[in-house]
Amino acid sequence: MIGFTILGLILFVGSVQVVRCKDLVHGVLWLAMTLMTTAATFAYLDAGFVAGIQVLLYTGGIVILMLFAVMLTKRLDGASIRIDSDGWLRAGVVGFLFFAGLTAVILNSPMPAKGQIGEESLEKVGTLFLTRHLAAFEFLSILLLAAMIGAIVIARKKDA
Amino acid sequence: MTPDNYALIILFAPVAAFTILGVCHPIRNRGALAGWIVSAATFATLVAAVSLLRFQWENPTHVFRHEFSWLVVNGKAMATVGWHIDGISAPMLVVVSMVALCVQIYSQGYLAHEPPSHRGRYFAWHALFVFAMQSLVMAPNLLQLFMGWELVGLCSYLLIGYYWRKGEAGKASVKAFWVTKFADSFLLLGLIVLVATTGSFDWNIPTGKALGDAGGAFALAGILLFVGAMGKAAQMPLHVWLPDAMAGPTPVSALLHAATMVAAGVYIVVRGMPVFAASTEVMHFICYVGAITAFIGGCLALLQDDIKKMLAFSTCSQLGYMMAALGANAVDAGYFHLTTHAFFKALLFLTAGSLIHAVHSNNMSDMGGLRKKMPLTFILYGIGAFALMGFPMLSGFFSKDLVLAALQKDGQTIPLILCLGGVLITATYMTKSFLSVFFGEAKSDAHESGGHMMIPMLALGVLSVAAGFGVEKFSAMAGAENPESWSQLLGHFVGLPAIGVGLMVVGMAIAVMRHRGARIGLPVAFNNWVLSRPVDRFYETAWRSGLLVFARMIAWVDRYIIDALMNLVAHVILNEADRSRKIQTGRIRDYVWYIAMGALVLAMIGIFGEQWAQLFGMGGGQ
Amino acid sequence: MTLDLTHWMLLSALMFSVGLMGLLTRKNAVALLLSVEVMANAVNLNLVAIGQHRGDETGQVMALFGIALTVAEVVVGLAIIILIHRLNKTIELDEISELSG
Repeated sequence: MIGFTILGLILFVGSVQVVRCKDLVHGVLWLAMTLMTTAATFAYLDAGFVAGIQVLLYTGGIVILMLFAVMLTKRLDGASIRIDSDGWLRAGVVGFLFFAGLTAVILNSPMPAKGQIGEESLEKVGTLFLTRHLAAFEFLSILLLAAMIGAIVIARKKDA
Repeated sequence: MTPDNYALIILFAPVAAFTILGVCHPIRNRGALAGWIVSAATFATLVAAVSLLRFQWENPTHVFRHEFSWLVVNGKAMATVGWHIDGISAPMLVVVSMVALCVQIYSQGYLAHEPPSHRGRYFAWHALFVFAMQSLVMAPNLLQLFMGWELVGLCSYLLIGYYWRKGEAGKASVKAFWVTKFADSFLLLGLIVLVATTGSFDWNIPTGKALGDAGGAFALAGILLFVGAMGKAAQMPLHVWLPDAMAGPTPVSALLHAATMVAAGVYIVVRGMPVFAASTEVMHFICYVGAITAFIGGCLALLQDDIKKMLAFSTCSQLGYMMAALGANAVDAGYFHLTTHAFFKALLFLTAGSLIHAVHSNNMSDMGGLRKKMPLTFILYGIGAFALMGFPMLSGFFSKDLVLAALQKDGQTIPLILCLGGVLITATYMTKSFLSVFFGEAKSDAHESGGHMMIPMLALGVLSVAAGFGVEKFSAMAGAENPESWSQLLGHFVGLPAIGVGLMVVGMAIAVMRHRGARIGLPVAFNNWVLSRPVDRFYETAWRSGLLVFARMIAWVDRYIIDALMNLVAHVILNEADRSRKIQTGRIRDYVWYIAMGALVLAMIGIFGEQWAQLFGMGGGQ
Repeated sequence: MTLDLTHWMLLSALMFSVGLMGLLTRKNAVALLLSVEVMANAVNLNLVAIGQHRGDETGQVMALFGIALTVAEVVVGLAIIILIHRLNKTIELDEISELSG
């Protein structure tokens, strides 16, 4: 319970800061922190492999990517990018309604039966990837290929 | 050869000719060849019709009928097509094919100077006409009769408009079509009333006690059908199209507007007699209309200088005689007059055509003293004229005699007086025309017409003389109870027949005196009034102030109410679409907002949907 | 009270809502993507929590899928942002409205 509370708090604060802060680079860094904490949460839940992937891909990959993007789009005089936002009131209403709805559903639905995660959970994950979710796995690879090619095509400079 | 085969030949030989001409225009464009093909088909029709008539001659009351079911309603055929050969249709088939054949051969000569492609077109319409007329005559019910009726109306339009390149013929053909179509709408209404009352188009309706309450409906049907017949047979006041129809070639006037198509108006009354006879009021109406037309038509003929228009009004008048006889319950008299009239009127028109061809003008004032230059035409015109006037021993004498006797027997005094007056006037105008064309000083150079034209005229001349002697058989075929032979008719030569002949002589005398210079005649004021075409002017006024005004009102409603409604719908849609375009701002944040809102709404419905539905009373379902 | 799946799901829902609020308010394109990241992260957390509660490894599998997909989406998104910046010299979303109807 304690672990949950601490992790939950950090996650919450991190998320709020990501969406609130005025400096883009700070925002990216807050996101990094949130994602790392999520990895910790995964580990807390005994999903070690996912935790590792989370760190690798998200924190390592995406955050770096975002920083690059931020740097590429900075003003030439090196000033940090200030961002602002508006429409907090209606966003707040919508967010609150969403949360209220989700809460209503969660609290009123019967929870599934409790089971136990065995020791060889990683093996089982691998097996699942290659048996039951094989097709999805293959499509996922194609999707990643497409995304890569797409990104290159979109972002390259047209040579004169 | 069974009667079935004959009937098929009668129907389909002309159709075959029409199709050949319609499809192969190399054949059609060689005018004379087209004419001979059509004439061959008509000849085949004639032979088949004569065979049928020979059989009918021996068995006057025999009926031969063959039907194919057509409109099937509730398992029962509401309408059929086929043929119905009896004492009424068999003679008419012969009349139609005979006159048509004569006219077609005549046309070879009359239209010899026309371009071949025009002639081909002309003969194609002739073939169509023969088919249409025969299917009308042979119709087993009023619906097929109506089909033939409309089709002959179409042929009339096409043939009158043969010279359409000169505006007058085009206008005349349209006028003929309009007036007859106006009358035909009444005919159609009559058919509808009939089928609504009896459930079929058969003319054999229940009579006498079985009529019961339906009597009123049958009277209505009868009146409506007769108005249609009035249009086709050019009875007053629907006669206005017939004089104008003379703008067509003379052979066409001879065939359609003297012998056959206008006769269809009389034919439908003959055929549908059970419907008309169901009500005495309708019969009286028919009789009076016929008698009035007979008299006034004659007066109008008297005033004409154009020989064709005179003959047109004469046709009008003679059709009136037939209608009067039919209205007096004498089917045999009316029908017999129809047959004899077909022969001598066609003869008169063809000889008139010969005259017109010779002097290149329609007006009798341009003709004169042609007795010596065109002797054969002189004799033939004389035969036709005397037959029309009712000269003893010629066919017209017997038929007119029957008509007058019928009027007397039925007790129709006023129609009888009008018809007797008509006899006088007929004699006057025919003698007048005879004298002014063939006697007096020669006004222009002329010569006799060629063989193509003379031979048919000779044939018709013979028939005009001889047809009268078949009166007994005709009457029997038409269903009269006591048919009398011509000798018997001559036997009662006192009373009415004598009066008729006497009036004829008086009329001839008046004409001779006028020709010599005496001043007898109708009052000039009356002449001028008639020549100003009052009926036409009435129609024109009715059209302008009545129909057009009504049509304009409807057009207004259509444009400002119905169209406006449509335009309003379009306008509203366009405006709303334009305003809805503002959603597409191109800004991603707005789109994100829309997506979020949409998802929210869907989530709400998904979560709380059932509870809300129950709240609003829409229960059930998941 | 004992730790239950409900708590995890509520936490996940909370993070998702926060991310949604960010999505609706941010004017900068990259910031928008950050909010999307937060939302996706919340979803992954939810998946893993449920899977672990049920003792079924499918939860982890789905979370892995989710991570991969999110990565792909961010990559393409950033490429587009770079292109937009090149063309418009700005990535303030309010100023980009070429596709307006």
